[in-house]
Amino acid sequence: MSEKTITENPVTRRTFVQAGAAVTAATTIAARSLSAEPLLQATGAAAPVDHSKTEEAYRKQWTWDKKGRMTHMLNCTGACPHWVYVKDGVVMREEQSRDLPGFTGIPEYNPRGCNKGACGTDYMYAEHRIKYPLIRVGERGEGRWRRASWDEVLDLIGNKILDTIQKDGPDAISVYSPVPAVSPVSFAAGHRFAGLIGGHTYTFFDWYCDHPMGMTQTMGIQGDLAETADWYNAKTILIWGANPMTTRIPDAHTLTEARYNGTSVAVITPEYCSSAVHADEWHHPKPGTDAALANAMAHVIIRDKLYDTGFMKEQTDLPFLVRTDTGRFLRQVDLQKDGSDELFYCWDTKTKMPVQMRGSWGEKPKVKPPVEPGFFGRNTLTFEPGTIALGDLDPALEGTFTVKLANGKSVTVRPVFSLLKEALAKDFTPAKASGITGIPVAAIETLAKRFGTAKPAMIIHGAGTNHWYHADVIVRAMLLLCALTGAIGKKGAGWNHYVGQWKPTPLLGLAPIAFPKPKHKFMNSALWVYLHGEVYDSMERIGFDANKYVRESIEKGWMPVFPKHGKSPKVFICYRANFLTQSKGQEYTLRNLWPKLDLIVTADFRMSTQALWSDVVLPAAFWAEKLDLNMTEEHTYIQVNEATVPPSFESKTDWQIFRELSERVAQLAVKRGFTKFHDNISEIDRDLSLLAEEFTAKGRFATEEAVAQAILDGAPPTKGITVQQLREQGPQRFKANWTSPMVPDEPYVPFRFYTDQKKPWPTMTGRMQFYIDHPWFMELGQALPLHQPPLEADKYPLVYNTLHARFGMHSMWKDSKLMLRLERGGPLAWMNPKDAGTRGLVDNDWVDVFNDHGKVTCRVKIAESVQPGQVNLPFGPERYLDLREGNSQSPLPIRIKPTHIAGGYGHLVFKPNYYGPSGHNRDVRVEVRRYMGARSL
Amino acid sequence: MMTAAMKPKRQLVRVIDLNKCIGCQTCTVACKNLWTKGKGEDYMYWMNVETKPGAGYPKNWESMGGGYKDGKVQDGKLPTQAEYGIPWEFDIKRRVMDGNPMRVFPSPLPTWGPNWDEDQGKGEYPNNYYFYLPRMCNNCENPACAAACPTDAIYRRPEDGIVMVDLEKCDGSQQCVKACPYKKVYFNFPAYKASKCISCYPRIEKGEAPACVAQCVGRAMFVGWKDDANGVVSKLVNQWKVALPLHPEFGTEPNVFYIPPFSPPVEDAMGVAGKPRIPDGELEKLFGPGVKAALATLKAEREKRSKGQPSELMNLLIAYKEKDLYALKGM
Repeated sequence: MSEKTITENPVTRRTFVQAGAAVTAATTIAARSLSAEPLLQATGAAAPVDHSKTEEAYRKQWTWDKKGRMTHMLNCTGACPHWVYVKDGVVMREEQSRDLPGFTGIPEYNPRGCNKGACGTDYMYAEHRIKYPLIRVGERGEGRWRRASWDEVLDLIGNKILDTIQKDGPDAISVYSPVPAVSPVSFAAGHRFAGLIGGHTYTFFDWYCDHPMGMTQTMGIQGDLAETADWYNAKTILIWGANPMTTRIPDAHTLTEARYNGTSVAVITPEYCSSAVHADEWHHPKPGTDAALANAMAHVIIRDKLYDTGFMKEQTDLPFLVRTDTGRFLRQVDLQKDGSDELFYCWDTKTKMPVQMRGSWGEKPKVKPPVEPGFFGRNTLTFEPGTIALGDLDPALEGTFTVKLANGKSVTVRPVFSLLKEALAKDFTPAKASGITGIPVAAIETLAKRFGTAKPAMIIHGAGTNHWYHADVIVRAMLLLCALTGAIGKKGAGWNHYVGQWKPTPLLGLAPIAFPKPKHKFMNSALWVYLHGEVYDSMERIGFDANKYVRESIEKGWMPVFPKHGKSPKVFICYRANFLTQSKGQEYTLRNLWPKLDLIVTADFRMSTQALWSDVVLPAAFWAEKLDLNMTEEHTYIQVNEATVPPSFESKTDWQIFRELSERVAQLAVKRGFTKFHDNISEIDRDLSLLAEEFTAKGRFATEEAVAQAILDGAPPTKGITVQQLREQGPQRFKANWTSPMVPDEPYVPFRFYTDQKKPWPTMTGRMQFYIDHPWFMELGQALPLHQPPLEADKYPLVYNTLHARFGMHSMWKDSKLMLRLERGGPLAWMNPKDAGTRGLVDNDWVDVFNDHGKVTCRVKIAESVQPGQVNLPFGPERYLDLREGNSQSPLPIRIKPTHIAGGYGHLVFKPNYYGPSGHNRDVRVEVRRYMGARSL
Repeated sequence: MMTAAMKPKRQLVRVIDLNKCIGCQTCTVACKNLWTKGKGEDYMYWMNVETKPGAGYPKNWESMGGGYKDGKVQDGKLPTQAEYGIPWEFDIKRRVMDGNPMRVFPSPLPTWGPNWDEDQGKGEYPNNYYFYLPRMCNNCENPACAAACPTDAIYRRPEDGIVMVDLEKCDGSQQCVKACPYKKVYFNFPAYKASKCISCYPRIEKGEAPACVAQCVGRAMFVGWKDDANGVVSKLVNQWKVALPLHPEFGTEPNVFYIPPFSPPVEDAMGVAGKPRIPDGELEKLFGPGVKAALATLKAEREKRSKGQPSELMNLLIAYKEKDLYALKGM
């Protein structure tokens, strides 16, 4: 692109407003010049006074030339359809389009949006909008830049990519971009590029600590949940570790409306949060003890026989037999020579014999599934319906039985339920759990009984419990409650995990475009930062060597690592993301990982922390400037986002950026005579001279719209929907879904392929699996989902809780003037007056929040709503904004939990965002002291 | 001065349900981005949401006077800029584009703002309490702002009763700012004119709900005509008597009404649940003596629904369709 075309758009919204449309300024002038007109002389006369000049001015302010469909395509689960309004080529504002279809008898989704979504377009003309390519001239993070042409930066990046492929191999190049569901076309662009050159890409759901690992472990599914309209069908709702009134703003109304419909709502969070304000009761466990509460509730449900025997016997592994000598499941190989070690048994109370259960990992369906989607441990959907139905079988849930092994020996075996019941009765009576959680015995009893009787009963789960080190156990313990009461696969029931924007429902349409070559290199992000950032996890303080497990996992190939062979990463391309601001172990990332990178490229529309600490910054088109699709797990409608206005300044769409980069790399490769190489990791021959045509599939994917249509066409949920239809008719409902059929006029409820059609669950046992006999789980005492105490690896007094904010979506809007003015102008550490008092702190003081891993210096807000012993610091503020030091992530290490990186066990297998370690945003302890210094950098 | 002749033909009324308000400030932003982003308007929030109990915006507005006493309009306090909070500027460009090493701090030093005491409330953990109170111009029957205006610049639109400042007639005396007991008239210093909520009449005229109502994602705001006996607002205010004016003792007869909030029970050491944690008195201070009866009605009707029985009141408050939130036909 030539220099001549570089023109800065002279019109910003602010100058535009000031130039003519501001009513008050304009009419003031008018009023003063009109002051002698007869109009004013009429004041007080009987004739009606003419106010038309004032009124016309305001009317004019609410006008526009054009409107287009837009959603806010960041890492947000809202997927809220909006119109953007354009006047004289300038986007003025956005407002909800309010055209989501609804369900009979359930309050509709409209108007879906939030405070941030009401001012998203402010970013378009913000002073830190990235307008043209920038090349760093100072140190990383300094903010000193030189304006460059696209030509120059494409050359620079292209040559560095080729150098790296030649010198270090393609897996030293990586591309990071999360959350396909919010803008799958953009997502596909960089992943496609990486996939074609042999670079690696990343996971995000686990890295953000949002992936419910316990769900993978229990269900063999990455995640699935009821759309939020289904909340209205519940009779009892436990909001557990979640604060939807603040973090799920578009969905919150269904809760208040369900209450008016007679639903009882209990909130279980340490802080008296905005959701607790609207609850019938509020319970406040000590942070990190939620599994103990769930265990005690399970104990009460079992003790009082409030459980659903039929569901447990058919849908769970609770009747499966465990050998008392080894603690492992009784397997076919135990009973038959050359038998499978992936087939399991129950004790049939009728025949008094062990009976092999159908649908376990060792059984293959007659029809091989055509695809193995990454969100399943295995695809069991081609099994016959009724595969796991019990028929005449009546498995025992309790008892001790003797079986004769193939080697002639006899062993005693017991159903999982027996073991569980005993363990709960021993350690998790309400009295004992009360001691752990601080929740009174009576409250535990009441909660349990209500959950077991006032059905349908639902758990709404959030990051508050999911971001802990032992979150997998917490989630398994909660799922157990639902399994005991048969709350899965039913309307208004179940365990619903609204954390993370993770569900690109038409994944099968997206995957071939985003991951075009076989053996695409995916790497777990937490592990990438942990290894290359040389993060110290301080677990030795509690005598635990996580690295022993990490080494074994990598050696056995359970977790892939890139680049291979102990090499360091070299080129890091990041777009649609603020990687650095979100990075757990942020200080280690900056200190150890960043220096290893020869080139950091970030494409964004605003100067984020990630962009600021980059070498090359590319101007990306804003949401209103590109065409894409958008969807969420919170509702079941897909929508289009239009390029209502062309990309501003010199920005380009993500598709355009990676298309042009592909073209440039191909040209440069030909020029230097290096085009063909063998990729020995993906085991394919690559030819870079073909890169440009491969990227567009020989022109088929030249435009965003063509890619969007191909995504729609390629997957059952969206096949038959067109981009044009979305444009004209608004959001359209999915036609199919991941784990349940779509039912017209009913909110989506997951897991009915298993609960209703009785196909095997995608786990080792083919059931919701509560007993995991992988050696590591056994060794760590986590075969059963029993409470594990919070970590004591940081020797500091306060629990550090990095929660989601009302005025930001992760780091987005943390730099918005409008949002900052609605809080206190910057990040705040919230503390209870008791803790603040003992530290001599006064409201709005500057404080250091610190531990051995790092320090963040910000202001303190003192509020009774915080539980004593805890400090709450909403995560993700930009590192350059109203902090004297660090960032919310500075005191966070990365702690790899062995039960996240196991393998060689049925459904415990690495797949991106399905199984792999999370970063753990909480379960960290800090101290807080008054800030005394003047360290301003 | 306002005269009886100025009584409008129809009156627009709002109801705000505090059991549905989640304090998200979407209304605040919707209003701001539509109306008050111009020069001199930065500090103005025609629509704001504050945490109660709390000092609010401007700080301690409830004790600034104004309104009526013995039928006479009162001369209230003119809030200082510090009591509103001086809007902070953030020079992000300096740091991230121009390479100045100083981090970006809000300027001037933050000491108060429109949502400064958010989620702080009253009481001691775990029996502390707070709730959200959205506030806008009450389009009063007896607007103190109009009564106090020396140039008769403030009028009630005959077609909908929306209280307006005629910007041509306003001469900047600021008497309206002082007289409004809700402190919902602002002053644009550069323009030297009063400035206040216009209730989105350009939208009302087209049958469209005001931005705060249309964009309220809590679906907590209702708007309709006072004389429409079958409309949702009349039913809530007159028939069910669950919607109450804010500070009726101010004497201006507001046309905005609030559904008082429930709250979770207080607890003792044994976790035994007691009375609602917001004391009745705290609510009565805001909404007058009708609070107890309104809460009792709401509770009884909700109980019907938990037993599977019908309740017209609950249906009205649930508002199945977004359009059920407003009835603006007949403009």
